[in-house]
Amino acid sequence: MQAIAAAPAVPAIVTPALLTPQSVQAQSPPPRPPGPLATGKRDAVADPVSHFFTAPRFAALHKLCHLLMPPMNGNPGALEAAVPQFLDFLVGQSPTDRQQLYKSGLDLLNSRSATQFGKPFASLDATQADTIIRPLFVLVPWQFDLPKEPGARFMAAAHDDIRVATRNSREWTQAAIAAGRRPVGAQLYFFPVDPVYPPAPPAPVYKG
Amino acid sequence: MAKQEFDVLIIGSGHSGGMAANVLTQKGISCLMLDAGPEVNLATNRATRNPWELPYRGMNKPGRLPHVVQANEFNANQWVDEKEVPYTHHPATPYNWVRVRLLGGRSLFWGRQSFRMSDWEFKAGEKEGVGDNWPISHADLDPFYSRVEAIFRVSGRKEGKPHFPDGNFLDADYGPDSATVQKVTQIAQSRGYLVSKIRASNGRNGQASSVNLLLPDALATGKLQIVPNAIVRELTVDKNTGLVNGANFLDRHSKQELHVKARVVILAAGSLESTRLLLNSGLANSSGMLGHYVIDQLYGVQVVASVPEARGGTPPEGLMGGTALLPRFRNLQKGEKNNFSKGYGMMIASGGAAQPGFFQDYGESLQKKLDLHAGACMTASIYGERLPRYENHVRINKDVKDAWGIPVLHADVKDSANEHNMAKDAADTAEDILKTAGWDILSKTDKFHPPGYSIHEVGGARMGDDPKKSVLNKWNQSHDVKNLFQVDGGCFVTCGWQNTTLTMLALAMRASEYLAEQMKTKAI
Ligand SMILES: Cc1cc2nc3c(=O)[nH]c(=O)nc-3n(C[C@H](O)[C@H](O)[C@H](O)COP(=O)(O)OP(=O)(O)OC[C@H]3O[C@@H](n4cnc5c(N)ncnc54)[C@H](O)[C@@H]3O)c2cc1C
Repeated sequence: MQAIAAAPAVPAIVTPALLTPQSVQAQSPPPRPPGPLATGKRDAVADPVSHFFTAPRFAALHKLCHLLMPPMNGNPGALEAAVPQFLDFLVGQSPTDRQQLYKSGLDLLNSRSATQFGKPFASLDATQADTIIRPLFVLVPWQFDLPKEPGARFMAAAHDDIRVATRNSREWTQAAIAAGRRPVGAQLYFFPVDPVYPPAPPAPVYKG
Repeated sequence: MAKQEFDVLIIGSGHSGGMAANVLTQKGISCLMLDAGPEVNLATNRATRNPWELPYRGMNKPGRLPHVVQANEFNANQWVDEKEVPYTHHPATPYNWVRVRLLGGRSLFWGRQSFRMSDWEFKAGEKEGVGDNWPISHADLDPFYSRVEAIFRVSGRKEGKPHFPDGNFLDADYGPDSATVQKVTQIAQSRGYLVSKIRASNGRNGQASSVNLLLPDALATGKLQIVPNAIVRELTVDKNTGLVNGANFLDRHSKQELHVKARVVILAAGSLESTRLLLNSGLANSSGMLGHYVIDQLYGVQVVASVPEARGGTPPEGLMGGTALLPRFRNLQKGEKNNFSKGYGMMIASGGAAQPGFFQDYGESLQKKLDLHAGACMTASIYGERLPRYENHVRINKDVKDAWGIPVLHADVKDSANEHNMAKDAADTAEDILKTAGWDILSKTDKFHPPGYSIHEVGGARMGDDPKKSVLNKWNQSHDVKNLFQVDGGCFVTCGWQNTTLTMLALAMRASEYLAEQMKTKAI
């Protein structure tokens, strides 16, 4: 500021170069080559904040994640990959049928657990938990045709979500790199092309 | 001041519109191409990302594209936004309409499998005694197929079988078959089935789109203008002659409405979008057939077997890998006894993995099974032909409009016993082949996706010699409006089991040459 005040008469059109006296320019570090700034990634610096599931449901989901996808073959498990927190976010953003599937599925785990063992699902040991979840596994020969029975349907959907969310995590990629394996899952991302603004209103509902 | 009148207005820039522009401009005819979508540079518009770098960990923004099973978070932006351009169906009868609105349309992203259709499809009524014939045969289309195959650089293995017509193929070296593919081949052949290889468009530089193979030559003639972001709302008609004389379109961003004039209009907006445009324009429907006989192929049906000698992660050299393609083998003989008509092709791929749902298990014990079968699986899937049926139709739903105020389509398309029986036969047949080979079946399903999923939706404006039973004649020309052509898949009478695009391209080339001839002799 002082430097500017001390400068001689300022011309009508001020360019940055004119605002910076030569003496200051001479002292500045050499300019960096032009290019994008290095920016960080969300998942590398921050933890998700959970909002959607109630505490008992979240605890059951946490337990389920650990049982279904523990650390294996040198890869992180679902808990290391913060999958319960991620699914809290994802399901919270989802259409109501998916939300309902999760809520009633997690309630089912807790209620069966209370009936059989007198405690919440999250407090069961592995053998006890197995007696609760094993009957909910049915064969799913085709992933586009989930079982109709609600408990089995929840388990099929949650199993798939937990596996995919774990494999797609930053922790999974990092473990692969650390072990000298090629990380899987990277693909070409297609950017939006010249989107219309403002975006379209929600689609009207079919009445007919 | 009124702007120039073009010889031909082409609506749509995908495979079919691209072919029309390519043919017509090289014959000196001036063309204007309008496309609803923006231009895209595939080289700069894509970048490699890890799934966790995307907002939803690569698992998709929930509810964004409920009808596009093929969508994932990486490619979500390439599909038509279902909120911008909705369509409707009864909740109990889903229809999956998979659309792209970009310059080049779906040709930017297609899987490039390229098969000719045969007279078992063109002359289905004669050959099988069921359903209608096309007004053309394979012989009529053969020269056009050959030229399209040259442009798209199709490779394939010649078989000399009329139900799987050979083409003008690039030399391709398929190498020796793996032992598992040899075994499948031997078993299938012992049952009288032909076994071949996938036929595919190689294109150039990894792309086989209208943008790199068709439109550059058209532009080089100086006879083509392309205007993107132009959403055609309706065709306009000269009241005195009843002929079309242009179209009204909306600017995609501003929604300003504009009009263009042309002596001839070619629809190439995709089978169902072209149908929608004709229905919204109230044109070309004296037959009452417009929107009817909507067909596509039956995908789903999967049988997976594990090869015992290949288990444990490192199969012996030469055992696994490659694929066997079984072109349609059912109902090739008249009077063959099956509880369905038409047929399906089958692909058996060697070297796949088992899926978690194949086992009632979880955690480490599941992982051990997945590891055991990794790379040791044989996966059979099908390309089924659905029956064309009058009841299966699209119509305008006046209650719902898209973001540009244009009434949308309502799809009313259902499967019949024929599709279910075919799927069951396919699953049983695949199981039989894989079991006979001595492999263990891990999973079998005869379930399949709802109509539309195959992205091979055709029909809606079928061709025929009888103007009372068809919308277009054998030159893809409207029976009712002589200067109106539709060169996309709308004209299909049967859909075949074969991926449809090569046939669309050949038909579009043939129709465009006919049109050029007619314009030369001033018949149009
Ligand atoms: C992922 C994928 C894989 C595929 N794999 C294969 C395969 O292996 N083999 C095969 O044969 N086929 C395959 N297909 C199908 C193939 O892509 C289509 O059959 C073919 O591209 C259709 O071409 P088209 O010109 O009829 O329509 P489109 O490519 O859909 O082009 C229509 C154009 O019209 C424009 N348009 C629509 N409405 C309007 C309007 N109102 N005004 C102005 N313009 C409009 C659109 O923006 C679009 O650009 C695949 C498709 C996809 C998406």
